[in-house]
Amino acid sequence: MIPLLAVVHVRNKRGPGLHLWVPLFLLWLLLAPAILLLSPLILVACLAGRVDPLRALSVIWQICAGLTNTYLEVSHPGVSVLIRVV
Amino acid sequence: MNENRRQILEMLSAGQVNADEAERLISAVEKDPPPSNGSASSPKAKAKYLRVVVESEEDGRDHGPVKVNVRVPMQLLRAGVKLAGLIPAQARDQVNAAMREHGMAFDLSQIRPENLEELVDQLNDLSVDVDVDDADKAKSKVKVKVFCE
Repeated sequence: MIPLLAVVHVRNKRGPGLHLWVPLFLLWLLLAPAILLLSPLILVACLAGRVDPLRALSVIWQICAGLTNTYLEVSHPGVSVLIRVV
Repeated sequence: MNENRRQILEMLSAGQVNADEAERLISAVEKDPPPSNGSASSPKAKAKYLRVVVESEEDGRDHGPVKVNVRVPMQLLRAGVKLAGLIPAQARDQVNAAMREHGMAFDLSQIRPENLEELVDQLNDLSVDVDVDDADKAKSKVKVKVFCE
């Protein structure tokens, strides 16, 4: 399943922190018509590069789906950043 | 009756162990049952994530320990390996040439998802200790741990 939400959490000792919920599902909704419109161009690019367009689509989908449950945390005494893809 | 229990009882009948020891051995065998045939070929569950943990123990005056904790789903890595197979031949040659220039004789076309599985199988728990000794910075130690979970 493709990620639907990204959580960005920035904690700063000196200033205010930031807790951001990024609704990725909205991004997918916006991107879907754009991809549909660009599909002829993508098809031509795939054929020019001798790449199977269906395979390319499948791999791109897998990469998007693979992003789910990615977790990144960097913490320093002054600031810490946490990114979580759900 | 399973094989272990039979062996313990045979040892008891042969007088190699006494009743207390036999009882302890049987309870130990029951607590830790041998793996079934299905899991014998794959001793541990398939890894779902690759985790990289970096911990620095700095001795600096105004610096504290820095921690980096990254969890990457294996599904993403597998898809990334598949993506390498989609790179057009011309671009792949350029990438290979650039990597060779930097001392990495590596052929992208040879990367297969099976290679990743082999790597994951071998990557039980890799830990690397790095000592950083910069002139303008205090001496610090960095521990990098890479493992699958």
